[in-house]
Amino acid sequence: MSTDNRPLAGLRVLDFTHVLAGPFATRILADMGADVVKINSVQRAVGTQDPQHPYYLMWNRNKRALALNLATDEGKSVALELCLKADVVIDNFSAGVLDRWGIGYNAIHKQNKRAIYVQMSGMGDGGPWSKFVTYAPTIHALSGLTHATGVSGREDIGIGFSYNDHQAGLHGAVAVLAAIEQRHRTGIGHRVDISQFEVGVNFLGPSLLDYFANGVAARPVGNDLPYDHAAPHGCYPCKTDPTKAHDIVGLDERWIAIACMTDTQWSALKAVMQHPEWAASEDFDNVQGRLTHKRAIEENLSAWTQEQDAYDLMQRCQAAGVPAGVVQDGADLMERDPQLAKAKFSRPMEDVHPDLGPTWVDALPIHFNATPCDQYQRVRVIGEDNAAVLEDWLAMSAHDVAAKEADGILQ
Amino acid sequence: MPLRGLRVIDLTDERGIYGAKLLADLGADVVRPEPPTGDPLRRRGPLLATDQASQTSLWHAFFASNRRFFSIDLQTADGQEQLDKLLAHADIVLSCKDAFAVAEANLTKQLERRPELVIIDVSSFGKEGPWKDYLAPDLVAGALGGAAATTGDIDTPPLKGFGELNFMVSGAYVAIAALAALAKVRKDGQGQRADIAVHECIASCLEHVLMFYWYPEALQKPEGKVLPRRGALHWSDAYAVMPAQNGSVMVTPTPDFDTQLMWLIEEGVEEDLIDPKYQDPENLRLRIERSMEVLRNWAAGKDAQELFFQAQERHCPYGLVLPLEAVAENPQLLARDWYRQLTVDGQTITAPGAAYHFSNSEGRVDLPLAPHKTATTAAANVLSQLGWSSP
Repeated sequence: MSTDNRPLAGLRVLDFTHVLAGPFATRILADMGADVVKINSVQRAVGTQDPQHPYYLMWNRNKRALALNLATDEGKSVALELCLKADVVIDNFSAGVLDRWGIGYNAIHKQNKRAIYVQMSGMGDGGPWSKFVTYAPTIHALSGLTHATGVSGREDIGIGFSYNDHQAGLHGAVAVLAAIEQRHRTGIGHRVDISQFEVGVNFLGPSLLDYFANGVAARPVGNDLPYDHAAPHGCYPCKTDPTKAHDIVGLDERWIAIACMTDTQWSALKAVMQHPEWAASEDFDNVQGRLTHKRAIEENLSAWTQEQDAYDLMQRCQAAGVPAGVVQDGADLMERDPQLAKAKFSRPMEDVHPDLGPTWVDALPIHFNATPCDQYQRVRVIGEDNAAVLEDWLAMSAHDVAAKEADGILQ
Repeated sequence: MPLRGLRVIDLTDERGIYGAKLLADLGADVVRPEPPTGDPLRRRGPLLATDQASQTSLWHAFFASNRRFFSIDLQTADGQEQLDKLLAHADIVLSCKDAFAVAEANLTKQLERRPELVIIDVSSFGKEGPWKDYLAPDLVAGALGGAAATTGDIDTPPLKGFGELNFMVSGAYVAIAALAALAKVRKDGQGQRADIAVHECIASCLEHVLMFYWYPEALQKPEGKVLPRRGALHWSDAYAVMPAQNGSVMVTPTPDFDTQLMWLIEEGVEEDLIDPKYQDPENLRLRIERSMEVLRNWAAGKDAQELFFQAQERHCPYGLVLPLEAVAENPQLLARDWYRQLTVDGQTITAPGAAYHFSNSEGRVDLPLAPHKTATTAAANVLSQLGWSSP
């Protein structure tokens, strides 16, 4: 009997995913205790599929590594046996790949009615674009996120990281968990077709309703709110940081986000600024007036913030009830952020990698009070868990595993 | 529907409401209490323009989809009793710190009474620490969480993502936490609380940001541990939005540089990219930089839409930068029957569908959008509809 008390302990997940979105989904399941078996192979282990690549290190902790050469019939046969034992089979190939290997939902469902299949392809299964190849920047462009995020007149900004990959991963995890609840009720494992494109379009939901109901097409608004009124509401420059690298443009800049969501908060900000003359105008006492004079306020506010230390100003603003936050970069998150430190959000992997030495963990941001998910196992090398996985899932003997390894099936 | 019969009480604000939406749109019966004066989120824009008087919020119609609204006056004994009755029947309670009815819900007692209950507590920065009471609307949350530093360009300030992108991350984690805890309840009857800080959620979804900090030697980038904001240019330098004729296209020579090179050769614009030095793995960075220069010049003379479709025919993952109105008419979404019909204030509106398509051997599971109620419903009526009038 397992003593693992984590919420998903005992859940068997067969993981055919690669790059970010799929591996992030299964990382979350693994963090919560699922037995995630990550399929890789010597042939596929290039670029971000190489277990030593930092990208792979980020998204594949807490998983067991099974090497499977799916170019061979024997490899496909092992995959079939694993699917018959799986609670969840998940992939982010283009639609139809698992079907071609004979291990798609329809084939497996006849023998394993409880198997849940989650397919996280770029465009979904079906439709004229279903074979399109996508990465997060592709999805950002096509979904409207690139067009909407930025400033007026620019189409080349968008979100500065692969937001939609993470979100597709989070939605993949939601899909798995919802299908588990559905199976609890019905006894039947369902197939879930997730289009990463549809995940991305969904984030513009209110704007799409605005378009369909009112005929208004959203446009980029910088740091303003697209529909609601708040001012000042933006990022303002502070004193540069002498501790930061200054040989590359932008790295020593300091910015603070200030968001006066109410007239009271504006009044409090005036107090923090010690009531400068430019801010005294009665026109600024209500948000409509501040929006009318937005440019003047932002110029004056920026001139003032430029003389301030960003962290000190944040503290003074927050103490006065003004929503404000330093624009933190990765080094700030890791070195200066007291909340992340308190939560032990960043931690060295205790299980040191045999080839790479120290690796790192950003902890699961869900803190279960009764069943903490605080166990982190390092990323495994290709095929490192062949014997253990095949014994646990298929009761395969060590001798048989060794023979298949020698034959190139488990490589 | 996947979550049919699941009873969820939604005590969230902007920070968690997307999680309640995910559960509601998957079929859970989600009840959202609101004060007699109405949920403050009913004032969020965009508003429905056809009826200026009613000030119907389309923001609310999206984020509070498929909900039962439950109007209670917590200043009265009746109101408290109605809230207690509601909570007595819940499988899951989603709460955000300081949101309506959270204090009155007395969730610690609820869990003592019913150990099978799942409670998700959302805060901006966690329950402890010097920033625990900091105010953080989406802009501030994204700044402190690390999303703004990497969005924008060197000639713009750091930027927030359009709309509510930071809170949609915390919202997605809320749904995950609730359903994972529910899986535990189904296994052994053990409910529990789980804490989620928006701040940690955002920091966990930054792609390259922590990777750059932790593994600079492996990445060998001149910027070192931190990359400044740089528009749409990806951390790998190999994806960028480039201007073309009649629009912009996200162009990349990845994942197969040779496929891209063959295309350029076919068009006679490969310039020096056929130089063998670019095939040397040691020169990958040089190859990326030079490829992007050549592609930028080449794309500038192409029609954006044609370039996008030609690229996809060759399995190159280009993306056409589409404005919202083009997304609304997108043939892929239409072919997949993705958009739904939503009734708001008596008006039927085309609306975004769910991000999932569930099916089994008998066919597809429909995930419909129920008509959105623009007026609050008296608690007694909701309790009666649910059959929960008794505790």
